Amino acid sequence: MDALAPHHDPTVPVQLGTTIMAVSYAGGVVMAADSRTSTGVYVANRVSNKITRVAPHIYCCRSGSAADTQAISDYVRRYVHELSLELNREVNVSVAASLFRELCYRNKDRLTAGIICAGWDAQHGGQVYTITLGGSKLQQPFSIGGSGSAYIYGFCDAAYRPDMTRAECIDFCVKAVSLAMSRDGSSGGVIRLVCVDRDGVERQLVAGDAVPRAWQG
Amino acid sequence: MSGSNPLHYNGGVVLSMAGDNCVSIASDHRFGMSQLTLACDAQRIEPLHDRLCVGLAGLATDCTTLAERFRYKHNMYRLREKRVMRPRTFAAVASSTLYEKRFAPYFTEVVIAGLELEEDGKRGTSGADAMTDAVYRPYVCSMDLLGALMVTDNFALAGTCAESLYGTCETFWQPGLDPDALFEVTAQSLLAALDRDCMSGWGAVVHVLTPEGITTRELEARMD
Amino acid sequence: MSSSSSSSKGGNGGGFNFDHHLRNQWITACLQGNADASTTDPVPNYARHARKTGTTIAGVQYVGGVVLGADTRATEDTVVADKNCEKIHYLASNMYCCGAGTAADTEATTRLIASQLELHRQAVGRARVPVVAAVNMLKRHLFRYQGYVSAALVLGGVDEWHGPSLYTIYPHGSVDQLPYVSMGSGSLAAMAVFEAGWREQLSEADARQLVYEAITAGIENDLGSGSNVDLCVIKDGGRTVEYLRGYAQEQVRTYRKPDGYAFPKGTTAVLAEDFRKYVQVRKVVSDL
Repeated sequence: MDALAPHHDPTVPVQLGTTIMAVSYAGGVVMAADSRTSTGVYVANRVSNKITRVAPHIYCCRSGSAADTQAISDYVRRYVHELSLELNREVNVSVAASLFRELCYRNKDRLTAGIICAGWDAQHGGQVYTITLGGSKLQQPFSIGGSGSAYIYGFCDAAYRPDMTRAECIDFCVKAVSLAMSRDGSSGGVIRLVCVDRDGVERQLVAGDAVPRAWQG
Repeated sequence: MSGSNPLHYNGGVVLSMAGDNCVSIASDHRFGMSQLTLACDAQRIEPLHDRLCVGLAGLATDCTTLAERFRYKHNMYRLREKRVMRPRTFAAVASSTLYEKRFAPYFTEVVIAGLELEEDGKRGTSGADAMTDAVYRPYVCSMDLLGALMVTDNFALAGTCAESLYGTCETFWQPGLDPDALFEVTAQSLLAALDRDCMSGWGAVVHVLTPEGITTRELEARMD
Repeated sequence: MSSSSSSSKGGNGGGFNFDHHLRNQWITACLQGNADASTTDPVPNYARHARKTGTTIAGVQYVGGVVLGADTRATEDTVVADKNCEKIHYLASNMYCCGAGTAADTEATTRLIASQLELHRQAVGRARVPVVAAVNMLKRHLFRYQGYVSAALVLGGVDEWHGPSLYTIYPHGSVDQLPYVSMGSGSLAAMAVFEAGWREQLSEADARQLVYEAITAGIENDLGSGSNVDLCVIKDGGRTVEYLRGYAQEQVRTYRKPDGYAFPKGTTAVLAEDFRKYVQVRKVVSDL
């Protein structure tokens, strides 16, 4: 794909050139994402929401093609809802992640989707699952994804601790995403956060002027 | 390059103009294969009923196929509904016929000229007693090879010299033309554009549709 | 991710018909002087000849409704094919949709969804359907065809569930919901106006003016956009729609010969003339 193709060329798909991440801690998960959606070099949406609700306690962070990941999460939301009606209880996070994996694996030749599925359930607490481009599902204590993640692997490996509190996780996420946003041209805007735990869901937003700044030369 | 575009392979052009209570539709007569002229008696205009004509420009094989499909669809409609199609109804049919083949299209552009009864609710062209007293509104439209409908209140055209024709029509057309003036404007716009196109020409015809009848005039045009 | 089944002949089964695919590939190959169809340019030459709306379309939400706007130029390659085309399409009584991209695709897609919405409205027996229903129908249609149906849409509407709402739908089937949006080749110019002039809690008059300025910016600065400004205001819970066709004429023809060009009768040399007068058959009496 020509990176400088005109943004209105209908053959250029809308991409979530992205930084997304999710961190689990004892009692819940914290998810974070930047808010830039681009077509070629044009920012189509600077306040987009890449953390999408799948079930009341399960969310997914989307990266890759906007159309593909929206469609996948629509399907998973539907299947999870259907399943919860059938079981008459909330579905486990792992089940939702498996549905993502199934769709991504079965249609891997047609999809460009990197997804982090995270949430909280009574059985296993906070969990983070990565669904890779090829359609495999990995459970990890924390996960980063999208084009911006390449810039922050080292930081995350250095800064992550397994015994973090919720507040520390939020701090970790904001630091990591802001570092990626400053280095990755296709990540930017605001930082959106979603925290899921026993008590429910809380959304937070770090506005553009409140995003922490590291060394900028 | 016109050589590699199927729409321009056989040459040919169709033009339709709106007048006051009348409408015209005209075309050239050339049938060729690229630069080689094979015949000068091509008929691109298909009269569907007294007040509706359809003109087809593009690849000759597809023009013929479409003309037959349109006639078939119109005949089936007439049998089923016991009336003829209104121009705008036919335009919708033609548009869908083309769009159905969106990804493997007919290489044909369509121009439609018709007279539409002023009262919207009235049935087609049958039933009304004083036919010639009724007020008709000219209906002129064109569509591209994918069926994108473009209804205009002045002129519609398609074919190899579309660019020159847009210029002549834009200059010569004016609102409120009576049938005789409409004929002259249509003919002069067409002949002027044909002189600058080597893929069309070799004689031309202009039909003028009025509530009283159709006047058909064969024009003297350059045969080179 | 299913594909629709289509009957190969007649086309009454819905979906597109691909009967001419191999034939067209062969014709294109032959005309390019290339007998081997497999090496032909995958983007066919004739695709440029399809009518496009190199467009500026935009929309803004305000406290009581939404304002949609569009320019009115349609192009065929480099020719302006239509100087006053309609790009704000009807979807339902409480929603309208601006289309950019291939003209045939935006027209056919919006017409298809408009009919599905009306059927849905009758099925559920309500006065109005929610705007999200239209968004879902449109995005599924476009996603199914993987961007090949090149329609970029700005959808605005008002319903009793969510109030005024505004969406953009991209050809590949992704959706954004924002308070102000623009699309098409002139969207950068329009967005520049929005970013400079938009604020929260706009009044209807201010919203109209802002959309008008955004479309004008597209008309003036983008070669694919031109002619007039159309506006459409949807308000009052979706009960009132003001469709302002020709809200402003931005590029009026500067000179026209005052009396036009008159050709006296007989100017054109005619070889043959034929007049077919209509006769009306009132009653057919059969002798048999």
